[in-house]
Amino acid sequence: MEPSRPPSFESLLGEILSRAYSMACSLTGNRSDAEDLLQDAALRAFRAFDTFTPGTNFKAWFFKILTNCHFERHRRSGSRPETVDLDDASDLYLYQRTAEAGLHQGCDDPASLVMSKMTAEQVMSAIAALPEEFRVVATLHFADDMTYQEVAEVLGCPVGTVRSRLHRSRKMLQKCLWSIAEKSGIVGELTARRVPA
Amino acid sequence: MTVPDRFTCEEVFRRLGDYLDHALSPEELRLVREHLEICSMCASEYRFESSLMDGIRAKVQQTGMPADLLQRITSLLRTEDEAGEE
Repeated sequence: MEPSRPPSFESLLGEILSRAYSMACSLTGNRSDAEDLLQDAALRAFRAFDTFTPGTNFKAWFFKILTNCHFERHRRSGSRPETVDLDDASDLYLYQRTAEAGLHQGCDDPASLVMSKMTAEQVMSAIAALPEEFRVVATLHFADDMTYQEVAEVLGCPVGTVRSRLHRSRKMLQKCLWSIAEKSGIVGELTARRVPA
Repeated sequence: MTVPDRFTCEEVFRRLGDYLDHALSPEELRLVREHLEICSMCASEYRFESSLMDGIRAKVQQTGMPADLLQRITSLLRTEDEAGEE
């Protein structure tokens, strides 16, 4: 019996493309740049496909290429202006802000209430506003449910670095999300609607 | 390292991120769970963080890839392949 042929590049890519697109959207902050990034990465991965070992983790291999493509594009385009000062984001930032805004009164799940008002684009732009090293870690974690170990393998860095960056990115992300929710009127709308104590 | 009989609020707070990420040791996991069962403030903070992270994850993963993206990429790769063969 002839040995079965390994899956083609196209079929392997097809299986993970949706996740890769989510990841590209979070890295770039918009759909148009995400498509460009994904096409660049696909082309580069296709050219390097002979270095991929069949039977190993194609998704991790491709995400590594995607991340490297993103780093290169980011370097070429220069640094991006940040809209939010992220340095002083505290622990439980959103918990505190939503409590101060009275959104915990008469509501079992205030986090879900705020998130239900936000669009995927707003969340993407919040992640895209994070400093580069935090954005990449947060993207891999949120877009693909990767564990610390898996993120560390894709980025080639220690697990401890992933853990600390992810913890900080969570805090910064909460500050970004709250800023977007305030600017877009979501906070005002929810506050106006809240049940008086 | 010796593991205490129970965690304080501060000890749970420091581990909340790892707890959310399922990255605690079995013993730490047990101690955090036990604390969350008896401390309503920590439980409330945990529920908020957990719900928030689930909400972020859901939004990020529902970005809705364009239906023709795979086709466009495949076509790009085919062009590359043909150019390589010439």
